[in-house]
Amino acid sequence: MTSYAEGKRVLQGGSFLLEDHVPEDVFTPEDLTDEHKMIGQTAHEFTEKEILPLDAEIEAKDYKLTRELLRKAGELGLLSIDIPEKYGGAGLDLLASLVSAENMSGQASFSGSLGAHTTIGTLPIVYFGNEEQKKKYLPRLATAELVGAYALTESGSGSDALAAKTKAVLSEDGKHYILTGQKMWITNAGFADVFIVFAKVDGDKFTAFIVERTFPGVSVAPEEHKMGLHGSSTCAVNLEEARIPVENVLGEIGKGHQIAFNILNIGRLKLGVSSIAGVKRLNTIAVEYARQRNQFGVPISSFGLIKHKLAQMAILGYVSECMMYRTVGMIETAMATIDRDDPRQALKAIESYAIECSIMKVFGSEILAYTTDEAVQVFGGNGYSKDYPVERAYRDARIARIYEGTNEINRLIISGQILRRSSKGELGLFQAAKNLMGEMLSPSMPEDLSDGVFAQERQALANCKKIAIAALGSAAQKYRDKVQDQQEVLAAASNILISIYGMESAILRTEKLVASRGEAACRNQIDATRVFANDAVQHIEAEAKTALAAMSEGDELRMMLATLRRFTKFIPVNTVALRRQIADSLVEAGRYNL
Amino acid sequence: MKICVCLKQVPKKDSILRIAQDQKWIDERDISYEMSEADAYALEEALRQKEAHGGEVIVISMGPERTRQSIKEALAKGADRAIHLDDPIFEQATDAAGIGRAIAAALKDEGCDLIMTGLQSDDHGFGQVGLIIAERLGMSSATIVMEVQIETGSVRVKRELESGWFQWVRVPTPAVLTIQSGINQLRYATLKGIMSAKKKELREVKAADLNLTADDLKPLQSIERAYVPEKSKQTEFIEGKPAEIAARLVEKLRFDARVF
Amino acid sequence: MSEGILVFIEQRDGALNKTSLEAIVAAQRIAASTGDKVSAIVLGNGIANVASEVAAKKLEKVYTLEDDRLNEYTPDGYVGALKQAIEKLSPRFVILSHTYQVRDFAPRLTTALGKTFVTDCIAVRVDGSDVVFTRQIFQGKINTDVRVSAESPVFASFQSGSYRADLAEAGAAAVEPLAVDMSGVTIRTETEPKFQEAKQAVDLTQAPLIVAVGRGIKSQDNLPVVQALADALGAEIAASRPICDNEWLPMDRQIGSSGQTVAPKLYLAVGISGAIQHVVGMKNAQTIVAINKDAEAPIFDIADYGIVGDLFEIVPALTEEIKKAKG
Repeated sequence: MTSYAEGKRVLQGGSFLLEDHVPEDVFTPEDLTDEHKMIGQTAHEFTEKEILPLDAEIEAKDYKLTRELLRKAGELGLLSIDIPEKYGGAGLDLLASLVSAENMSGQASFSGSLGAHTTIGTLPIVYFGNEEQKKKYLPRLATAELVGAYALTESGSGSDALAAKTKAVLSEDGKHYILTGQKMWITNAGFADVFIVFAKVDGDKFTAFIVERTFPGVSVAPEEHKMGLHGSSTCAVNLEEARIPVENVLGEIGKGHQIAFNILNIGRLKLGVSSIAGVKRLNTIAVEYARQRNQFGVPISSFGLIKHKLAQMAILGYVSECMMYRTVGMIETAMATIDRDDPRQALKAIESYAIECSIMKVFGSEILAYTTDEAVQVFGGNGYSKDYPVERAYRDARIARIYEGTNEINRLIISGQILRRSSKGELGLFQAAKNLMGEMLSPSMPEDLSDGVFAQERQALANCKKIAIAALGSAAQKYRDKVQDQQEVLAAASNILISIYGMESAILRTEKLVASRGEAACRNQIDATRVFANDAVQHIEAEAKTALAAMSEGDELRMMLATLRRFTKFIPVNTVALRRQIADSLVEAGRYNL
Repeated sequence: MKICVCLKQVPKKDSILRIAQDQKWIDERDISYEMSEADAYALEEALRQKEAHGGEVIVISMGPERTRQSIKEALAKGADRAIHLDDPIFEQATDAAGIGRAIAAALKDEGCDLIMTGLQSDDHGFGQVGLIIAERLGMSSATIVMEVQIETGSVRVKRELESGWFQWVRVPTPAVLTIQSGINQLRYATLKGIMSAKKKELREVKAADLNLTADDLKPLQSIERAYVPEKSKQTEFIEGKPAEIAARLVEKLRFDARVF
Repeated sequence: MSEGILVFIEQRDGALNKTSLEAIVAAQRIAASTGDKVSAIVLGNGIANVASEVAAKKLEKVYTLEDDRLNEYTPDGYVGALKQAIEKLSPRFVILSHTYQVRDFAPRLTTALGKTFVTDCIAVRVDGSDVVFTRQIFQGKINTDVRVSAESPVFASFQSGSYRADLAEAGAAAVEPLAVDMSGVTIRTETEPKFQEAKQAVDLTQAPLIVAVGRGIKSQDNLPVVQALADALGAEIAASRPICDNEWLPMDRQIGSSGQTVAPKLYLAVGISGAIQHVVGMKNAQTIVAINKDAEAPIFDIADYGIVGDLFEIVPALTEEIKKAKG
């Protein structure tokens, strides 16, 4: 399964900013093995035949049905991709698990239940459980005989997870921890059997526990009334002197934060995957509608402003897919160099890509927001009606920007991690910033464009990386250890980084595609990459201005802006024409076809 | 019981088909492929029979490299081994006679008790290959089969006749059965199956291995031109008194749409 | 040198299969251009009536092939008999109707004779010295013109409805028994009586004909009107979402984005307006007929045949007409 990674070089997390990655480095959907494709097909067929027809029942909170569907998915092996074979799982790679998640995202509520079960509900035990815990729980989680859930958030501690108030006290006989507190917004709580609960031992040691629903003192509050995802269960979990056997402490006392945060990296990646799948699916729904809906005697798909929306959804779907597969490919390559049977090494390998995982979470959830919003717009008045599917998609999508770490928290992680790793010497940002200073002070030389499909885009990419390096370098220099207080500047830098990652991922995959299929067969992909890069340069310029103006003034600012102008030189491409071409191709195909 | 299933890989059902530049076939760029539907049911039936009676299921398919994807899917679903007729020479075989000849040659020495295949493929839809194999290998045959009961030395099958009629027939083995879509519930490839498929035998067979030359497989009929049927975009509105409307609609359905 | 066109006449229990008359028309069309004489052949036992019915068409001869081994249709019997007959008559073309029976034996026959067989044609034309057959591929989505480069006889079967049986030219043909030696023919198939059975589980995706009903039906009490139409057609009944939401029909009958996606040969939409969620589930039907009282209903945008009017008048009339047509 991991043959892809053989012979590939391991690329460090965050290194995309400072190094040039080449097409051979990136993993793309075209590189999927037959086995991965078949897993995707099984997941897809299962969703189409078993889940989507029961949409109405799922949305009516028929949890017996949801459990039954989880069990059926378990029979096919779809719940055990990440579980080692030793414990009744398939022990497959992360890619398999993401391909499956992508294909099972068609019913958003069920996808939420599934994700809560397989990812945040199961993985803590896979990665941190001891032998007895794994033997006891994993085989039954693999079949959905037990359903898992993850209980971190509390009413007073959301993003600030470590401020949790739930406390754990060792019983006098030393056999139990007595947990008291309330966990909020717990997906699957209505029917889950096993909760990964975080609580503080002795008031300060943040620790994870495996809590069974039937343990004394555990109770589940009524369902929340949510904006969307009506078919997924979300409740508070009350712990009233709940008695948790000491053998159910997960990992080490006081090391719960490792579990809490590391599991979220994978959660973010999976959320990214299902968001991207949603973008592609909604693009198809919007295309189908626009082909069919007539106004002024013609289908609305013939109007430029509708074409813009249809094309933009597809462009974002394509670019995000490039980013996602590239990220997973990097992680897989890193995993190939470690002992897979040692879950901590695996987790560490994943952790080193926390920047990319956060990028996928932010970008995925925001393009899904764009797409659901514009899909409603394409549907016009019908889009506002519950009779049409986009109304629900719009509501269902909203939570994606909130959970698995809000996009704000994730933006702080993206640039924050780059800075932290640089100050630890793991990334060469500061040296790069110094070199860049020298370059900025020397007179600008006319630059020759390289050859190739993306000559101008490649140059813009190199320049945008310089902008990001300069912005982050300046921020580090100016704010030093107080940089985390500069959230707006950090977010602007993160936005630049996200655009760069998108631009580069699209260029690399498309170049790889062109090399194998020829330019003529990659028209849409080339156009999509061009449009995205064109817009990325504009966004990056705007974000950089915001950051620079916040960090400097007077001559310094003027000098920085002059350099910025130099680095954002870009002859605009005719995005109107390119988007029209992409839209026409979508309309002809009747679906997302990049 | 040794059962062989003949599979064909065809463009996915929901593909948007465009005519190729040379107007002789569809434009295959951008097309995704899948197992032809009726063949998938044949495979399912074979697997069920194996599960009930023991034995071996072999799948055979002819086609280019991409065909492996469907072959592997069959292995993932439970077939024991596979034969892939993969050779540019086989691309010559564009009519049923050529395809049937090549597959029959490949199966000649397998000694199958049963050969199952879909009643027709979703692409060409010749509906002939199964019987050509039967005739070439001297096997008995039954077509458009809805139910299969394996007996000693024979097989009893329920055949679909027209307009809601059925008939049970018994044929001695070895026999070729062509299977109707929908006769059973297709299984999914489980993850275990997918991973174990990698270890199963997938034998590649070239034309020379079967002593076949391009000349042997030269088609006796060929597509001179492929085109999209003219469909009046405009809805044809039928007006008049109810009885007149009914009469005219029935005529249209009968002779233009040919639905009965 | 082979000449003439031979038409295979299908009979069951001494009753003519009407599609065989369509095959006669196809043969007559070819003959009109090539000048070939058309004959017919009918197999079985007790087939005099069928033979004389066919003999009333413009044919050179009607050959009858009677043998005990042909009492009941079997592929071995038919292949054995026809192989000898065709070798004896040596026609240029053998024309069949693409019935289930033909599909069960003809490919064996043509293989035994080493000839080519163009199946499931919808038209034929003569182009100089060549005959060009039109057949559909990809389940009717694409048409092809097929040319044959094999030695005669060339076999071709025609899809039911390709030619109108009532256009068969009339005449008076001689009925001539044809003797073949069936002693060497081993019949391997043991047949049991034919039977009919009520359709059970619904898999709408497999149904070739679907009659779908929507809000226009107004009340559950009116459903039998539509059910009668479906029964007459031999179609499955299906519905748009509101009907299933109201539980007038079970959920497994629902077509559309939250129900099943179908692509039948015929989709007859009764009182369905054509909301997109419904349309995505059926737009790929080969032929769409819409009956709706609202001329502006979007269903008419995708319908091949549209009837604007009161379904309670039109549907019963249509049911009657179909019953008549099906005889």
